[in-house]
Amino acid sequence: MDYFQLMGFSADGWGHDMLRATGMTVAVAFIGFAVGLIFGCLGAAASFSNAHALRLAAAAYTTALRGIPDLLVIYLFYFGSSSVISGIAALFGSQGFVGAPAFLTGALAIGVVSGANQTQVLRGAVLALNKGEVEAGRAYGMGPLLLFRRIILPQAARYALPGVGNVWQLVMKESALISVIGLVELMRQAQVGAGSTRQPFSFYLTAAGLYLLITFASGQAFRLAEARTMRGLRRGI
Amino acid sequence: MPNVVRAAAVSLSGIRKNFGPLEVLHGVSLTAHEGDVVSILGSSGSGKSTLLRCVNMLEVPNSGNVSIMGEEISLDQRPGRAPRPADPKQVNKLRERAAMVFQSFNLWSHLTILQNVMEAPLHVQGRHRNECRAEAEALLERVGIAAKRNSYPSELSGGQQQRAAIARALAMRPDVLLFDEPTSALDPELVGEVLKVIRDLAAEGRTMLIVTHEMAFARDVSTRTVFLHQGLITEEGPTSEMFANPRSDRFRQFLRRDGASSH
Amino acid sequence: MPFDLTFLWQTFVSLLSGIPLALELAALSVATGSLLAFGLALMRVSRRWWLDLPARFYIFAFRGTPLLVQIYIIYYGLSQFPALRHSFLWPVFREAYWCALAALALNTAAYSAEIMRGGLLSVPAGQIEAARACGMARILLFRRIIVPQATRQMLPGYSNEVILMVKSTSLASTITIMEITGIAAKLISESYRPVEVFISAGAIYLSLNFIVARLFALLEWSLWPERRKNRLQSNIVEKKGELHA
Repeated sequence: MDYFQLMGFSADGWGHDMLRATGMTVAVAFIGFAVGLIFGCLGAAASFSNAHALRLAAAAYTTALRGIPDLLVIYLFYFGSSSVISGIAALFGSQGFVGAPAFLTGALAIGVVSGANQTQVLRGAVLALNKGEVEAGRAYGMGPLLLFRRIILPQAARYALPGVGNVWQLVMKESALISVIGLVELMRQAQVGAGSTRQPFSFYLTAAGLYLLITFASGQAFRLAEARTMRGLRRGI
Repeated sequence: MPNVVRAAAVSLSGIRKNFGPLEVLHGVSLTAHEGDVVSILGSSGSGKSTLLRCVNMLEVPNSGNVSIMGEEISLDQRPGRAPRPADPKQVNKLRERAAMVFQSFNLWSHLTILQNVMEAPLHVQGRHRNECRAEAEALLERVGIAAKRNSYPSELSGGQQQRAAIARALAMRPDVLLFDEPTSALDPELVGEVLKVIRDLAAEGRTMLIVTHEMAFARDVSTRTVFLHQGLITEEGPTSEMFANPRSDRFRQFLRRDGASSH
Repeated sequence: MPFDLTFLWQTFVSLLSGIPLALELAALSVATGSLLAFGLALMRVSRRWWLDLPARFYIFAFRGTPLLVQIYIIYYGLSQFPALRHSFLWPVFREAYWCALAALALNTAAYSAEIMRGGLLSVPAGQIEAARACGMARILLFRRIIVPQATRQMLPGYSNEVILMVKSTSLASTITIMEITGIAAKLISESYRPVEVFISAGAIYLSLNFIVARLFALLEWSLWPERRKNRLQSNIVEKKGELHA
């Protein structure tokens, strides 16, 4: 069977499976990214807090998760929640290991990891704000909420966009690691195909191509969004 | 307006301000009545900008009182902690009445010029959008940059940006205008267009406090002058008298040194 | 299962044995990767499209795909070709160790090349002109002016990349290599105590990365003599500036 038959959409081709798996990769990455955005907002807010304990917690969170391999975090989330679920199942008479849902634990794990990166990005965006413009807002009678909504948020969002785009690309690539806990996303599907056809190169290269397609397309989308939001920003920066 | 008793628009009394261990204002009192144009002069480091920023609480004095249009700002100045306004809402209300024009313009870079001018009336004062727009456009016309209404601040020259910032301040319908070295960040050839706008405002009888280095302008425009040296008022009085007969050596020296280089 | 300190300690000790392998993989891949990256960076700044384009594509491909795919392509994928299986190279590509090393090196080369390019481009044009005006030839200019400045400019970024590589060695465990994460995974599946294993392994990785970061900070310190001098002065100026505001 040649490559195009192998990856084709006929009955014995793998095209459908690979496409479905690509969809799964995008889905799990997207959920992970969303979780990371929430953690990032919380982390950044904590890092600017007046409470010493919150600032410390934010620093510990980013330091730990940027220094520990993602694979370990995925293991922790998967086997950690599995052991909890197994414990509960044992109460109902089940014996042995019950696996946690891979999609959920995987998305959560890469979400928590990317949240640490996101914290840095959002923090940097707030620090990049022009202090004079924020001060002008205060001088014109804006309360903290209005100031945040009308001045800080729109400007910080603009500064954050490139970094946020980077984090999305990272999450996309990290999602491949979720294959180790059995979620049938692109990487896992390629393993399955490679195993049953003995054509590993074809499958992994196809997977690589599909990843490249996603990162390229989303990179273009972010670039477009950046161009739109850069209106009014100082030229040449 | 001679012989008419006018109300105090801004009144500062016994203002002390320190940054860390260093005190930069050692108890400054100053009153600007309605219709006064007060120039605040002094060499750099004299504390003149800090004094102006105490009026709208961008700096909170460690001791002393600030009143705007007869309303005193209640402050929490307990010793051993950073001073702060007792009621932030009151401060925001009073900031609407004393609009500031900054040295570095500080226009909001994500909004167009028109949006900059409309922002505070619309969102802080909650006025009607159409009304804000009409007024903003009229103000931009007045400062001579109506054609730039849909440009972003980064697309304007410094002089144009500062004129837009003045329109933004006027849009608040403030009782007092505070100018913090409005021409210091401008190229020399752009200073004139901004000074002209301020001069026109003075001619209208607006109450203004102006921190400036432009001696000729101060002499020309202001009704009263305050000279600050090392955190204290060394000399103050009607502008014409002060420039004609400086009483203190400090101010005389200052005039001699700066007078030569002013426009 | 209650939290068990004895188990935590035992886990920690068994994980320590994975450190040499992890560090070896990281050090060798960073070393070979940086050589490759230097070549790629030169190609990128060469202004010759036939050098720039291949480098661009290489960087795009390796940065746009997960490292895991790259490892699998080399370790599992290459065996699809009988020609390679029967060649003298096979003893190398049969070994998980060499495959992991190759993938890590190729991967970090792509990221490092962009960091190096940024460093090379950061040297101000005026200084290059000044060197030319002094009669420096291309190679001399490159060696004496551009490289020293580019090196210190790119250090923070490169420090990050090395830390990422230390983390990335964990992926070698997916192709049977028993470095720290490999041992950790084995311990988890034997003991079902993911929390203790995670804490031990996490602590080890954090310490390793802390050391890497400190080493780079030290290197930066030694390469920026004028910054060392200015730091004190600029602090003083800043304080004064605040007062005048």
